[in-house]
Amino acid sequence: MKPGDRLNLAADVRDLQIVDRDGSYCGIVDDLELAGRPGGKLMVAAILVGPGAWRGRLPGWLYRPLTRLIGDRIARIAWKEVETIGSVVKLKRTAAALGLDRSERRAAAWLPGGSDDALV
Amino acid sequence: MQFAELFLGILTAVGGFVDVSELVFVAQAGSKFGYALIWVIVLATIGIMVFGEMSGRVAAIAKQPVFNLMRHRLGLRLGLIVLAASLLSNTITCAAEIGGVALLLHLFTGLPVRLLALAVTLVFIGSIWLLPFKWIERSYGLLGLFMIVFGAALIAIQPPWAELAGGLVPQMPQVSPADRLVYAYFAVAILSAVMFPYETYFYSSGAIEDEWGAKDLPINRFTAIVGFALGSLLAISILAISAQTFGPRGISPEMIGTVALQPAVPFGSLGLFLAFLGMLFAISGAALETCLANAYSISQFFGWRWGRHRPPREAPRFTLAWLAVFLIALAIVLTGVEPVALAEYAVVTSMLVLPLTYLPLLLLAGDAKYMREHRNGPVAKALGWGFYALIVAAAIAALPLFLITSGGKA
Repeated sequence: MKPGDRLNLAADVRDLQIVDRDGSYCGIVDDLELAGRPGGKLMVAAILVGPGAWRGRLPGWLYRPLTRLIGDRIARIAWKEVETIGSVVKLKRTAAALGLDRSERRAAAWLPGGSDDALV
Repeated sequence: MQFAELFLGILTAVGGFVDVSELVFVAQAGSKFGYALIWVIVLATIGIMVFGEMSGRVAAIAKQPVFNLMRHRLGLRLGLIVLAASLLSNTITCAAEIGGVALLLHLFTGLPVRLLALAVTLVFIGSIWLLPFKWIERSYGLLGLFMIVFGAALIAIQPPWAELAGGLVPQMPQVSPADRLVYAYFAVAILSAVMFPYETYFYSSGAIEDEWGAKDLPINRFTAIVGFALGSLLAISILAISAQTFGPRGISPEMIGTVALQPAVPFGSLGLFLAFLGMLFAISGAALETCLANAYSISQFFGWRWGRHRPPREAPRFTLAWLAVFLIALAIVLTGVEPVALAEYAVVTSMLVLPLTYLPLLLLAGDAKYMREHRNGPVAKALGWGFYALIVAAAIAALPLFLITSGGKA
């Protein structure tokens, strides 16, 4: 694989829909976490999900008010949890197992008759 | 079975074509300028066919919703701008629809508009919450078909058909320079009201949920063309009756209740009643569609679970999104803004954001990476970019025309 390919991979994966093992939508690849040292191998360490991951992607005047409104949480999904990458990023486990269902659960609590049971 | 589905799909598209802004502008256009704006309805209908077909095709082939792919294609920053623009325009449109339904009910019951707005919003929320979606979509769409009474009324009053056909030719009427600006304002407003972006987003999200594939492309094309064409015949009928009965008597149908009077000319109170029912359900359908279109856009942009086939609690953030949109739209109506003024703001804001909301669709539908051999061919490409140039020009003209003509009143 040429160095250019790796960069293309990052650009292609960012902003893709994430789908869990059961086919449930569970967020968007908001950013990628890279790991490595200068001169060493550069690797994708994790997928970052949540508005907090936009810090480096949006200008400050947009990022600050936006995250004040919708929060700045980040969920980190290790790269090894990724099953396939196509028109969506498919994960090996369920959203619940990877901690990607917290916001849905919190939202469910707002709804009448809402309990966590509906989501399991 | 396939045929029945197709038939229902087309009928739903016809009922779903009409919304409050269209009624208001088309009826006034006929009264002010006779048949001279019919060609704009036809032009705008071809535009919505082109973009509607594209959005269904993208859904069937790329299998991902437009807002989702849009963010991947345009990136986070530009994506956020498109999202904000379309939320703004759809929310104002939704408020206009709720206000329109409330006003219509007010004319028939005499109850206060705000109370009725509250009541209809609760009915909308209740119907999405409790009923299976397909059922809601079809009942509102099919009951909206009572609007056909406008077509029947046009035939019954025997308009001068040759003169009416003359309206199909693009023209600038021989009127004073000030009235020419009003004419241009109405042309832009009709273009915007027919091409409201919520229609395409709603349509394509439905196609994803119904799991369309390449084999559904002919049905997609057929539904988009025939459904929108039949819908536009209703709009043309309303304009023509207005030109024939209101214009010569100096009646300007600024209230939507006046529009409902049209079929009463040939058919008496039965015509009025059918028109009332048709408008009620057609505008209600538009209120549901604009609201859900917003919930789709937000959910798809952030990758949440979404879907109207799911029970509300299985897609909680999607559910909260549509509830919030209804409540914000209701709050706008409760401030006491005239529903007709809301309809005007809706078309002007939509026109301003239309270039932003249709650009991603045009780029995606032409992109071989997502669409493979089903990407836009020469015809779709030429039509798509041609209409894109037109909506950019209309968007630039919209605000100055609105201000100079005081919303078409000057």
